[in-house]
Amino acid sequence: MEAPDEIIHQPVRLRIMAALTALSAEDEGLDFVRLKALTGATDGNLGAHIDHLARAQYVEVSKAFVGRRPRTTVKASPEGRAAFQRHVLFLKSIIAAG
Amino acid sequence: MLADVDAVVQRVKQSRIYRRAGNIFILWGALQWARFALFRLFPAFAEVAWFSVDLIGIVATLWVLRGEVRFGGRTPWRLVGAFALFYGFGYLWADVIGHMGGRQLTAFWPTLFQFGYAVAGLWLGAAFLVIGLGGALATAAAFLWSGDAFYVVIPLIDGAAMIAAGLWMRRA
Repeated sequence: MEAPDEIIHQPVRLRIMAALTALSAEDEGLDFVRLKALTGATDGNLGAHIDHLARAQYVEVSKAFVGRRPRTTVKASPEGRAAFQRHVLFLKSIIAAG
Repeated sequence: MLADVDAVVQRVKQSRIYRRAGNIFILWGALQWARFALFRLFPAFAEVAWFSVDLIGIVATLWVLRGEVRFGGRTPWRLVGAFALFYGFGYLWADVIGHMGGRQLTAFWPTLFQFGYAVAGLWLGAAFLVIGLGGALATAAAFLWSGDAFYVVIPLIDGAAMIAAGLWMRRA
């Protein structure tokens, strides 16, 4: 049986990875505001979880200015995609075993 | 937890559909205004302008959908087929069976496609339904109550409604 991924297992991070991996690898990723709406997290909470995922190299974070406004874009890395797939397999295996 | 993952994935997919559709709505809204301007400036070439604007719109729509549609695959032909069926149905009723006058034609074509959006909304999300039915109601109201201003009101309202709808969908 697959083992759980302790980083992705946390519900907000699971939602972040689900949202990011729903996009294709060629996609530019999701911006912070959209990710916030999709996960239902607060600014601070979302930022902390993104940092956590970035330290694990599961996501790539890029910051840019659009006009005068800062824009943070988050994208799943290949390692993050693989880890998410493994974690989903783990969740499915639990359900199948139950 | 898997249900949570699935719900997020569905929201991302719908958000992407809305964003692409929003760009297409803005495009067609701008084209409506361009068509109106061409009619006013070159009334003798109204028919040419009508088909040219539609052709530009269809090509631009496919361009907006690049990456989503695979040329040579199944998806683009469904899209092209949908356009062809709507135009075919519209042409059949507008020119062959219906013998509509200018005022009826001007109301008929937008409402035909607005009902198409409403039908698409049953699969793609409520925003399409709201935009389709809202647009059709606005067109009907203009047809019934705008009097002589109708020919000015319709393209302006439709163009503005499509651009507003597009901006709304891009934020959804």
